[in-house]
Parts: sequence; C-alpha cells; structure tokens
Amino acid sequence: MKAFTNASPTDLRQAARLAGQARSREQSVAFAAGGSDLLGMMKDRLVTPDTVVSLRAVKGADTIVSDAHGTTIGGLATIDAIGRHAGIRRDYAVLAEAAETIATPQIRNVATLAGNVCQRPWCWYYRNGFNCLKAGGSVCYSVAGENQFHAIFGGGPSYIVHPSDAAPALVALDATFRIVGPAGERTVPAADFFTLPSRNPSRENVLADDELLAAVTLPRPAAGARSTYQKVMDREAWTHAIVSAAIVIDADAADPTVCRDARVVLGGVAPIPWRLPDVERLLRGQRLTPELAAAAGEAAIAGARPLAKNGYKVPMARALVARTVEGLAPRRV
Amino acid sequence: MPRRRISRRTFLEHTSTALVVATAAPEIRAQGRKPGGDARRAIALTVNGTPQRVEVDGRWTLAELLRDHLNLTGTKIGCDRGECGACTVLLDGKPVYACSQLAAWMDGRSVETVEGLARGTDLHPLQRAFVERDAPQCGFCTSGQLMSAVALLRANPHPTREEARAAMTGNLCRCSNYNHYVDAVAAAGGDRSAERLAPRTTAAAALQTVGHPTPRIDAVERTTGKATYTGDVKLPGMLYARVLRSPHPHARIKSIDVSKARALPGVRAIATHETCQVVWGAGSIAGGQQYNDDVKKITKQRRYAFNNPVRFAGEPVAAVAAVDRHVAEDALQLLAVEYETLPFVLDQEEALQPDAVKIWPDGNVSLNNRNEPLPLAQRRGDIEAGFRAADQVFEERFTTTFVHNAQMEPRAAVAAWDGDKLTVYTPTGGIANCRTDMARDLGIPLENVRVVCQYMGGNFGNKNQNQDADLIAAVLARDAGAPVKLELSRKEDFVGVHGRWPTTQYYKIGVKNDGTLTSIQLRGYSGMGPYRKNSGAIAGAELYRCPNVETVVYPVYTNKTVSGNFRGPEYPQGFFGMQSMMDDVAAKLQMNPVDFVLKNMTRKFRDETEYTTYTLEECIRRGMDAFDWTKRWHPPGADSGRFKRGAGLAFMAFRSALGRSNAVIRLDSAGRYAVHVGVTDVGGGAKTTMGLIAAEALGVPLSKIAVVWGDTDRCPYSVGESGSRTTIMTGYAVVEAARDLRRQIAEKGRPAGGEVLIASASPNPAATGKVRNAFGAHFVEVEVDAELGRVRVTKYVAVHDSGRIINPLTAESQIKGGVTMGIGMALHEDLLYDRRSGVPLTAGYYGARIATHRDAPEVEVIFVESDDGLGPFGAKSMGESSKVPAPAAVSNAVFNALGVRMKDLPITRDRIVGALAAGRSARAAHGEVLA
Repeated sequence: MKAFTNASPTDLRQAARLAGQARSREQSVAFAAGGSDLLGMMKDRLVTPDTVVSLRAVKGADTIVSDAHGTTIGGLATIDAIGRHAGIRRDYAVLAEAAETIATPQIRNVATLAGNVCQRPWCWYYRNGFNCLKAGGSVCYSVAGENQFHAIFGGGPSYIVHPSDAAPALVALDATFRIVGPAGERTVPAADFFTLPSRNPSRENVLADDELLAAVTLPRPAAGARSTYQKVMDREAWTHAIVSAAIVIDADAADPTVCRDARVVLGGVAPIPWRLPDVERLLRGQRLTPELAAAAGEAAIAGARPLAKNGYKVPMARALVARTVEGLAPRRV
Repeated sequence: MPRRRISRRTFLEHTSTALVVATAAPEIRAQGRKPGGDARRAIALTVNGTPQRVEVDGRWTLAELLRDHLNLTGTKIGCDRGECGACTVLLDGKPVYACSQLAAWMDGRSVETVEGLARGTDLHPLQRAFVERDAPQCGFCTSGQLMSAVALLRANPHPTREEARAAMTGNLCRCSNYNHYVDAVAAAGGDRSAERLAPRTTAAAALQTVGHPTPRIDAVERTTGKATYTGDVKLPGMLYARVLRSPHPHARIKSIDVSKARALPGVRAIATHETCQVVWGAGSIAGGQQYNDDVKKITKQRRYAFNNPVRFAGEPVAAVAAVDRHVAEDALQLLAVEYETLPFVLDQEEALQPDAVKIWPDGNVSLNNRNEPLPLAQRRGDIEAGFRAADQVFEERFTTTFVHNAQMEPRAAVAAWDGDKLTVYTPTGGIANCRTDMARDLGIPLENVRVVCQYMGGNFGNKNQNQDADLIAAVLARDAGAPVKLELSRKEDFVGVHGRWPTTQYYKIGVKNDGTLTSIQLRGYSGMGPYRKNSGAIAGAELYRCPNVETVVYPVYTNKTVSGNFRGPEYPQGFFGMQSMMDDVAAKLQMNPVDFVLKNMTRKFRDETEYTTYTLEECIRRGMDAFDWTKRWHPPGADSGRFKRGAGLAFMAFRSALGRSNAVIRLDSAGRYAVHVGVTDVGGGAKTTMGLIAAEALGVPLSKIAVVWGDTDRCPYSVGESGSRTTIMTGYAVVEAARDLRRQIAEKGRPAGGEVLIASASPNPAATGKVRNAFGAHFVEVEVDAELGRVRVTKYVAVHDSGRIINPLTAESQIKGGVTMGIGMALHEDLLYDRRSGVPLTAGYYGARIATHRDAPEVEVIFVESDDGLGPFGAKSMGESSKVPAPAAVSNAVFNALGVRMKDLPITRDRIVGALAAGRSARAAHGEVLA
C-alpha cells in the first residue's frame, strides 16, 4: 500500500473535520472503522489515501440503545454485536439474521454497521482495478462483459449490485440514518440514503467525502411484526448475496394470518437495496396463503431487466420472495 | 493488482488511447503518488500476556508486526486479504484476521497467538485434540483454526459440530481436512461421538507398527506454530522482493525504464528481461513430460524467467529487491513499461481456428518431445467398425474450467549465495528435482546448489520442480549481494504459478441395447496457457472394456494463465467427462448406472494386461452397501419435490507404479536410527509414513526413529511428492535400507562407542508383466434446491483400495480432503476471464469460491485393503486418487436429482436454475401442463 498518515480522532465530528481539512489541502482521505475491506483495497492500490482516519479511538459511537421511540444503533457497533443483541434478535430479526450472514466471524468481530452499509462494490471489474464508473472512469465493463452477478433492477449506467446485507434490512425496517459532517448533523430516511448510478455513477450513497454514518434509528416494531432475511450465496459462507430478501410483515393483532402492512426489499439485484412497493401493496390487508406468496414472487420480478448472463436471478428472486413470504406466515396448529 | 494498474498507466503515457480501445483493455485509474506518510510511532500492546512497547511503521499490518518484528511466525499469511483465516489471532479475546489490522491500531490492545497456547511442553487441550485427530495436514491453516476454536471453547465449552463449523468457517483448509478439525473441536469439548469417528486399526494390519492409527511425528510442531515454512525463514541482511506482472494477455515490451525505481532509497536490485536471460526450463517443456538435459536441448518454445513478448496477464515483467517489502512495492510503481499490445486468444478451441493469433511461430498446438505439432493419441481396434456394430450411438460435449491448486501457503523463495554456492529455501515437493533444475537453469554445478524445505503448506502439484520465483530470488540475491526473500501474493499465486488445464471434450459412444460397449471416441482440447508445463492429457477411456477406442487430445496454447499438474493431473476433468457420458448412456438405455458400470468397467488394463490385484468390483459392492444404493437411487428426475435428492457414483483406477528411489539409515551406539529420505511432506504425512515403514522394517518402536528430510545436503535423491509416489517408491527404499542394516547388524553386531552403521538402498523394482493400480468408487447423494440452484451433499461414501494402509489416521485425512476438493471443483471453482481484456476476474479464495467448513460434508471412508506383495508391505498410491472420481460422482448425482445433465463445470446455481428454466420452457412448448 501507498505510504499514508494515520489519524486517530476521538469523536466523529473531529473525524469529519480532519477529513475536511485534509481534503482542503487536496489530500485524499479514507475512514477506517473495522478496516478489513479498506486495507485490502489499499494493498491492491484501488484506493490510495494520503490520510487514514481511524475511528478506533472514537468513544460512544458503538452503542445499541432502546427507548420509547425505537432502537438506535451506533455506526461503529460491530456486526457481531448486532447479530448477538437480544433486543435486535427479538424486535428486528431481519437485521440480526442479515448480520449473521455477513462474511466470517473474524470480519464480523471488527466490521461495523456503518462500514458494512457504506462498503464499496464487490464487482469484479472494480475490484480488479478496471477504470470503471465506480473508479471514476466512464465505462461499466460488466455491460458487455461478465455480468453473472450484476443488477437486474435499477442498473445503468453502472450495473453493480449493492454489496451490503445490512442495508436491505435497514430499508425494510424504515430506519433513519444520522449523518455527521464537519459542520453538523443531518438525518435521512434509509431509503433516501442510497443513490442510483443514474444520479451519481461513482457513488452508492449521499455521503459527502467528509461525512460519516453516525447511527441508525429503527422505529419501534408494530405489535404483530415478524421479519426475516434470506440470502442466496454461491458457497455456504463468505460471499455476497446473489439474491437476498429482507421482509418485514406487520401482522394483524387479532388475526396473525392477515398481513396488515409489509415492507419487501431485495439485496444483490440492484445498485441500491431494491424496495418492491408493488409487492407490498399486494400483501397489504391480505391473508398470508401459499397462493398469495406465489403472487408476491411473480410481482417481485415485474420490471426486471436482466443482462446477458444474469437472467437466472429473475426466477431465483421470484422463488426467494415467494418462499420468504410463505415462511413468515404463522404455522398452522 | 497494483502492478497491473501502474504499468497500464505507464502504457497510456507512452501510447495512444486508440490502441487501448482497439483491444478493449481497461483504462488505468489515474492516481497521484504523493510522498509522505507517518514516521514510526511507538505503541504499547500485550502479546500473549506480556506487555510490549514497539515502534511500528504506519503500513505494517498486525500480521507483519507479529511475524517480521516479534518473530511470532506461527501466525501465517495465506491471502493477506481477509479471505482465508491463516492469520487468525485473538484481539482482546476475539478472533480477527491479523492481515486486516494495522499494527498502529493495536495501541492498548491485547493479542493472543498460537505461541501463547501451550504452557511449555504442556499442550492446550485443543492442540492435543488436533494432534490426536490428525487435524493439520500441511499445517499452514492450523494456527488460525486453533485460535478460532480457542475463542469458541471459551464462550461455549461444549459446542456441537455445527457450532464448531460456524466458529471456524472463516478459516479455509485447502487440504480440506474440515471433518477432522470439527472432530477435534468436538472431542476437546467433550463430545463422545467424536470417538466413534476415530480411524481404527485396519483389517490387514497383522503388522507391528504399520496399519495402526498414529499421529504424525511432527504434529506438535504443526499445532504450536513451531514448524518453519519458507516464509518463516529470516536470514541476516535479507532483502524483500516483489514482481511486476503484465496487465496484458499478450504484448511486446517495447521498453522498461528502471531509473526512477533504482533511485528509490532502499532498492538494491532490479531484474528484467533485458538484464536476466535465465531460461526457466521446467516452465516450458517439449511434450510436457519430465524435464531433463535431453529435453532441454530439444525444447524450442523456451520460457525465460522474464519473457518478451509476455503471453498471459500476470506474467513477470520485472522484479525488485529492497530493504523491506513496502519499499519493494513502492519501487514497482516507479517502473515505466511501454507495451505494444498484441491480439490474444483465451479458449482452447478458438485457438485452433485458422484466424487465431499464433502465440508461437509453430502455431497453437503444443509441440511434442520430437517438436511435432501432434495431439496425444491412443487407438485400439477400429472405432468406425465399432459404431457400425452398435445399436445406438450417442454424442455429447463436456467442458471443465481452470481451477487453481490454491494450496494455503503462497509460493515463496529465499535465496542466499555464499560465494558461488547457492542455498534456496523453497516450498517444493521435490528437493532433488528442484536442485537439478536450479543448477541447469543457472548454469552452475549441481554440487553448488542446496535446496531446503523443512515444512510446506500444501502442494497439489504446483510445487514440483523449480519455479520462476526460485530463479528470480536467486538472480536478485546474486545481483544485490544479499539474501532475498520473494513471496507471491495470493492473486499472483493464482495467476502466476499454474492450475488444472481447462478442457473441451467431445465423446461419441457406440453401444448395444444390452449395454455392451462397441466403440469409444474422444476428441479433446486442453488449454495449456502459453507454455507447456505438463501433458494436457484427458484420462478416462482406459476405465472401460471396449474393443474399439480412439482418444485424440490436443494440448493447445492460449493466452490464459499456465496450466499444469494438479492432483491427478489428467483424471478429475477426464473422468468427469467420460463418466458423465457413460452415465448418460446408461440412462438412455434405462439401465441402473451401477449395472452399467459393473458390466463395462475395466477388468484388465486396456483389456489386455492383468492387474497385480483387482478389487474394483469389491470397492463398488462395498460402497453400494454402505451407501444403501438401492434405496437412495431412483430413475433420473423422479423426485418431484422442491428439494430433489439424487444419487450418483463414479469409480477410478489410478497408477501405483513402482520405481527408483533411495534411503539411508544410520544407527549409532545409543540405538538411534536416523532415516535419511529426500522427502519434504507436502501435507500427506510422508515423514511419518517413512518413520512407520522404517520402524516396521527394523522391528523397533517408532520412538527410536528420527526422520531426516527436506535438505539436499542431508538427504539422498527421492522422486519427490508428486504422482502419489513417495510411499511406494521412497517407502520401498526404506524397507530395502532396513534390510541392509539388519544384515549388517547380523554380520558385525550393533555399533558400540563412537561406531555407527550406515545402510543404504537404491532399489528400482518393477511389476513385471502386470499393471499395478489403486482402485476406488465414490457414492454421493445430493439434495438440489431446484428453484434456488443450491446443491448440498447429504451423503458421501468413498471406498478405496490403496493396498495396505500404512497409517489409517493420515490416510483418512487424504481421502476426505481429496473428496472435498473434488466437490469444490464440481460445484464452485473457476478462474473466470474477461473476454475483452483477457484479464482474470476471480483470482483468490473469495473469487474462486474455495470450499469453507460449511461447504464440507461428512465423508465416510472405507478401505478395501489388498496386498500384492509389492511396494512397502503392499502399499499403493493414495494422495491424488481421492479427488479423481469426485467431480464425476457429484455431477452424476445432480443428474439423478434433476433428470437434466449438467455438461459444464462448475455446476453453479446459475446453471442449475438456467437448465431448469430451459427444461420448463421446452416442456411448455410441447404443450405439457406445468405443475
């Protein structure tokens, strides 16, 4: 890796300021939370920061706190801590289950929620150093190249898929993201945090270079809420999703077989977590039956636009949504 | 790869972008290089309970700090990218990848490494369990597995097997001894069921030592981090080297400007094709057979340590030695290379099209050892007559891809000159061959070369002979006047060494309606990359009884990375094609595949020559019983559920030839026997096997035997650990040397005082008039989730006749590992290329989807022991044969589950979902009602 300066701020505002100052000197900056992915990219010189702002010394940004409004998870909470947290497992199973599918125990022990949500794409062109749209170039090499793992929704001009497992879960949970910059804070809904390549092909989210994802707040779950994260991988561990489904169903308090409301988000199929409002509408107010689940699967793939080599993702997404909805229906006694 | 990018930038500076567009090569990412970075800073951390204060460089990783600066080399670097787990340590009690943490971040933290587990000679209970269950094979991943397991047992003292798998799933083992790692953790956690799984003394073991399960003689070193691998060797004044590799699959190097790199402080030597004209003989061999002086004279298509033109993306262009690895890497960024890109071809069939670019002037069919552009061909009978005699003729095409050996230890070499004498520390399965190659390539006398390999982290075929890394380290060390260590990154190892040759196989089979074969024809194409390292053959036809056989296989040059030997070089891909084809023929004749196999399988070698012992039928019948074949097999596609079960089998015969080797045994007056053998132990357990054979042959306990290995100055010639030959050949030399020693003792009495007795043997036995083969049969059940394309192996029975089993404990590891590797080849592994740029996209453990703990099924091993009176106590070959039938068996089981034949490896989810979608639409077109 290229030689760089290490900085160790003790709070996030300071981290953002350090980044802003370095940038004003025309230096490149990278934030390091868990650091696993960043170090690999630095070794491959995919990124060559002059300054690495380590967040290891930052205090208080890794807590998980619940109150009457919901649960707030610090951006620096580790994936392992989120996956094991009793309250999250109880109230937000979709997030705990997503956390458990991420990488390996060693990575989950250091990787943070913010780092996972903000990780750069794992497209093999980007990761092999091609000067693609994500690297600031002008071409998406997957379009006419090897696109087995690429987007079937929302693609163009870049066809990466968003690599985070936590992100679809957070969108499905209607989370609010708190962002810290040198000048202050702002909040955005999870769904507005991620940006399509048609808006900005070189980035995956709305963060400015000197902004950090400080925390996410999950609203209190509805009384009859059930949720799950199902991920299709091409080996049994340590890969990103080919297709994944994050589904939250608010069941009717009186009759848990009836879906009062639902949020359905796919991972691995689009440059952002891909919410399926048509499927949600289809489920709303309906009794959860195998027939409804199958219809949800069909609705999920409406509008899919596969590339030459990723057409298999379409029936796979259909099956995964149908199965996941079916799995969330209460078992008959 | 940084080297690729910077050279591409250089390329752009010197040529027009139009050229780039014309070849569809990716542009370089512009990147500014600014000097600077941190000075060293002091940190305080606790390592294995001891507080330490160390000055660290800003770029050091924790792994680097531990290994290079605190001399804790038990923590290994397998990928340096958080993909493999060999570097796992505990950070404040939790497992982390030490390669993915900066040392500077460790201030105030507590780190535990493998070196901290034992108390003196008192091993940690997990270390004891690892030793007893033969968890480490090559041992390179062992420290990491241990640290993950230690953390698990602290939190959960009695884990289930599934919990053990989950805890270690971030730790890859390419020897694939996953079953035994899980057994060991379960046993250490008090799981009594683990005892049930322990290998037993084998049936034929009427012997004293041989045949009893015995932990490796070096298992403690492998579980305590004390085993010294090449990367652990550190010499005074040693420099670190890095290699710049071509970003282009085919290009002429117009110029290399090294001036800026040479001016970088700390750079000591630079080598390029202009300054180094060393021929790497074993890197390109006419005919692809054993390299020697005669072949050297013949070989036209020479490969140098640095070539111009470069013929594959990843080929070495230059190398730099510097005072530390970071300076060497910085120097690579300063090398300015101007390339003229050339047309390239990736596919082995396309390379034979008339308009394909000629990679060599002689064309793209690799030359044989008479320099003729001819295919490998074998003919028996008259295939056309056979097709005329057939009731039915079937034709099909199968393909297999490049899969990499992916041994856990990346290639490394340490070269040191003392005057005109060279010592090379290198991971090699054959110290003797490596030494001969180095002397020949460097033009120095054999006696001036010493090759040392004390421990090595796996081989699987790509650490035989010498490698260009050995030559590059030697050249740089000579130029710099200092020892040089060259370590390849994981990606370099994937693209810069070699893997299994990809194949395209066309079969045409004539058969009678009763299943009698009348004709077998194979036309095959093997992609060798641009250099011929090994044969490129496609095996399989010899497995069947048939009067008319013709196989014609073209070894073809392409601009992909080089192909060579990988565990059963020509077998797993050939058996996949041939036994898939035959399974398909059986299905079309509506025969049970076992009946078809029993009717048609080999009984004599090529229907002519007797085998020394023949157990194939017994292997199949034992396997059918243990697997419960009649219950698990059903007509293809008969399982209509969402999760479809299917059963498949494949069988194998594998060479177990006798041959020349050497051994020396020295007995001193204290009664100690030193057995000198030229083996290195790639992970199969050769050292222990030699010790057991010596103990048996001498009639003394194993504890009296000291095995001396892995150093050409101390060991006689051995063929090396390739071709599954060590036990048979060197083991037999040990038997003969022991016989000589016993004769000497009988004549002269035992040595007294300062006396020693030295016995030696150089036998070269042969099985006259008969063919010596190992046999085996694999039975596998899969469950296919047809909608999501997932294949799960739910039962696996591997039956093997490897003659007498010397050590049932390590033998089981060998079989289970080969099976798991074969499953990975069947379902996951592939080095995928971008067709427009000719650049590989999936190099590395993440990209190639190497199997994890969670991908490895429990494998049941059955040994059918035979003793043909040959070899050491009747032992036959084993190491490679366990992988050989696995891809075919898995593929046949998938066919049985789906009723759809998967003709291309790997059988990934996209192919299963795609095949079923195609099947559905075909049925719909026929007007069938969809369920």
